Amino acid sequence: MLNVDSLTVSYGPLKILDNVSFELQKQQWLMIVGPNGAGKSTVIKAVTQCVPYSGKVTLDGKDIAHIRPHALARSVAVLSQNYHIGYAFTVEEIVSLGRYAWKKGLFAKDGEDIDDRIDHALEITGLKKIRHQSVLTLSGGELQRTFLAQIFAQDPRLLILDEPTNHLDLVYQKQTFELISEWLKQPGRAVISVVHDLSLAKAYGSHALLLNEGHHIASGNSEQVLANDNLSKVYNMDVQLWMQQLLANWQN
Amino acid sequence: MISYMGNRARGYNWIEYLLFAIITMVIFVLCIFAGSVRVPAGEILSSIRDFISGQTENTNTAMQIMKIRLPRVINVALTGAALALCGAAMQGLLRNPLADGSTLGVSSGASLGAIISIAFGIAIPGLSGGSTVLMSILFAFASLVLILSLAYRLDYTLATNTIILIGVVFTMFAHSLISMIVVFADEKVKSIMFWTMGSLAGSNFKNAATLTVALVICGGLLLLHADELNAFAIGEENARHIGVNVRRVKLIILIAVSVLIGVSVSIGGTIGFAGLVIPHIARMIVGPNHRRLLPASLFAGASFLMLADLIGRIILRPLELPIGVVTSFTGSIAFVYIFYNTRRVK
Amino acid sequence: MNLKKKAKSLALTLVITLLIAIAVGCGGLSTESQSAQAITLIDMKDREFQLDKTADKIVALTAADCEIIYALGAGDTLIGRGEYCNYPEEVLDVPSVSSGSETNIEQVIALEPEVIIMGTMDQTTEQIEDFENAGITVIVTDAQSIEDTYTAIELIGAVTGHQKQAADLTAKMQSDFAEITRLAQEKKAEDSKSIYFEVSPLEFGLWAAGSNTFMDEITAMLGLENTFADVKMWGEVSQEQVIERNPDYIVTITMYFGEGPLPVDEIMSRPGWSEISAVKNKLVFNADSDQLSRPGPRLADGAKALYDFVYGQ
Repeated sequence: MLNVDSLTVSYGPLKILDNVSFELQKQQWLMIVGPNGAGKSTVIKAVTQCVPYSGKVTLDGKDIAHIRPHALARSVAVLSQNYHIGYAFTVEEIVSLGRYAWKKGLFAKDGEDIDDRIDHALEITGLKKIRHQSVLTLSGGELQRTFLAQIFAQDPRLLILDEPTNHLDLVYQKQTFELISEWLKQPGRAVISVVHDLSLAKAYGSHALLLNEGHHIASGNSEQVLANDNLSKVYNMDVQLWMQQLLANWQN
Repeated sequence: MISYMGNRARGYNWIEYLLFAIITMVIFVLCIFAGSVRVPAGEILSSIRDFISGQTENTNTAMQIMKIRLPRVINVALTGAALALCGAAMQGLLRNPLADGSTLGVSSGASLGAIISIAFGIAIPGLSGGSTVLMSILFAFASLVLILSLAYRLDYTLATNTIILIGVVFTMFAHSLISMIVVFADEKVKSIMFWTMGSLAGSNFKNAATLTVALVICGGLLLLHADELNAFAIGEENARHIGVNVRRVKLIILIAVSVLIGVSVSIGGTIGFAGLVIPHIARMIVGPNHRRLLPASLFAGASFLMLADLIGRIILRPLELPIGVVTSFTGSIAFVYIFYNTRRVK
Repeated sequence: MNLKKKAKSLALTLVITLLIAIAVGCGGLSTESQSAQAITLIDMKDREFQLDKTADKIVALTAADCEIIYALGAGDTLIGRGEYCNYPEEVLDVPSVSSGSETNIEQVIALEPEVIIMGTMDQTTEQIEDFENAGITVIVTDAQSIEDTYTAIELIGAVTGHQKQAADLTAKMQSDFAEITRLAQEKKAEDSKSIYFEVSPLEFGLWAAGSNTFMDEITAMLGLENTFADVKMWGEVSQEQVIERNPDYIVTITMYFGEGPLPVDEIMSRPGWSEISAVKNKLVFNADSDQLSRPGPRLADGAKALYDFVYGQ
């Protein structure tokens, strides 16, 4: 589905990403992991055309740089880390914008199926009750779910998440990941997400890409990539031991 | 407001527009009947009837006054609509409630163009009367291109902060050029100082026609981009992700705004605060959705400026208070109120 | 307020005349030996100042004061002028300095004047202090009426030692005005006619001259009424008011720069103005702005030009 070939991103003389390649098939959930400064978010920015890069990114064989914005948005949706909204838009207004890329012409009326899709998106994210509420009054979790609903309304094949649950309570973290894994069950879909929490990566990811200081360390099957050998090299510590110690505190 | 809730996401609501249009019309009629000179209502009606049937050779005072008042009120309404629409569009596009054509430097660029045209007597062949208008638009557009290319150079994503910063710097630059022209040029340009304060006292039907054309084309263009403006108002990154062609839409909106501001400045001078405050008031009434905000701003801008001009025309009878003074006075009070309220909500 | 001002200027005139009389009386001498005498004078802002002798190195910032200096025959004492001084033509050969709020102290000091004569418009007391600290005697003129203008002429006459010329000039102006008033009284119509002075054209906002202006004083001499007598000094007026008040004469002081319609034609072609009496009878006149707005000797010329316009030559 998605093919990334020798992706390099530089800011001036500094190489943020150096020759990173990986690929993604349908129904896969690729977790991009690595320590701070590994270039995880930069991979996403390049794939979504937000920074200039060299190398090639193709979606179903087509160079992503040459796909027109609305066509790209029909295939790929992005959930960012955090949102600051200055104006009092309602939840529904934000979710409706997910259908932007699917609008027919200038004067075409928004059809009933659009209403259905928006309703459905609000339904599965549990936002139906607050659909007319101003987003300025929402909690961080509700806001994140609003944009998740927008993405569901956008109906892409590839979902890209940039640390989606970074600042969220555990309950929202769980909700978000459950919703996404439910979404992924439909055929033809795939997910890429950047995560900090290696436990989450292990629990939800089918595949993984491990980066360190802009370099590709390992990619492929989640279990292989997130093996303790790889992780310990990158993080300079025995990750498995640390995780087990943490977890031990939870045993009665 | 609650009754509209169900329709908020969808936007366009004809009953609401009708209501706005009626309010605007009522204010228009009020502004036609009231003025510096009191003319009996009956005479006004009959002279308007004559106007419509083309019998303008009528020599009574009411007719003569209507020849001045009618085009003036129309120009004021059109300018108010244009400025408020520009303000609403800029505030959405830049996701900055303090944005306005002037923050971007478009107004200053337009003023510079008009002043160069007057100072050096630049006439565009075949357009002797329209050269100031055209120079304003050209300069508004040229300043825009300059601001944008600088912004692109500094920041690939054309981030909003970069644009506003460059806009501020450009405004200072344009003002320094204006001051230079005024210092070095002869007495003729010294009278430009009157003009930069903004006045629609001497505007005519030709000006109104120019404004109408600009408003129909560029205002229409802005209204057609209501969804894109919503996306920008939520966030540029989000706009990109939902499929908005960010750079192209930005360019279209900025060009539409620069034409509208160029035409307004060349006809009425710089009228402050209308483009900044009116969209805020409109947003309080109809919410931030541009499908509703843009038409609401259009009507509110026209109404506000007509009332401001009416105050300017009658409060110091027989003197006139320049419209810019009235808008800045009422606008700054309204602005403090709005600012206080938005702070309190946070 | 107005009365108070008149009383003040009258008192001023008396003081100066008295001082001159004392100076002349004590010495009873010719102009040359008079220069050796110290003079104490009071300027038009009630500031007392002393001169060891009559000044022969003067910088004058206002156009009117420059005109007065030349009209008194004291042009050779002028070593610097404000940038807007443009009459008579010889004044253009005198080095020019910035004036008003842009007054450049160093520029003036470099010319080494004994006396600087300045107005009140856009000038500040800080500027006066700076000049005084530099050892230059500052004289402030502030003529708001024709009467004040005589005071200014006599003041400058005393400073330059041209008292006699000043007295002659004042007398000439007075007799010119008296003559105009007398002729106008003979010719004026039964019913009173009104005149509208436009000091800024429609393009830049319509400004009219009201009461307490030279134009208003001249209006009275011509036996006319000022259309905007209810406006104090100058004010931006509404077009509608001009139409309703229907002036019999319109005088514009807009300068013509050789492009677009002539100021008179522009007024005649304004929409809605065609039924104004002055426009209908083509009684619209483009007067010399400098003659009618500068408190100088050419006020009489301006009045004469207006007389010719209203009553024919």
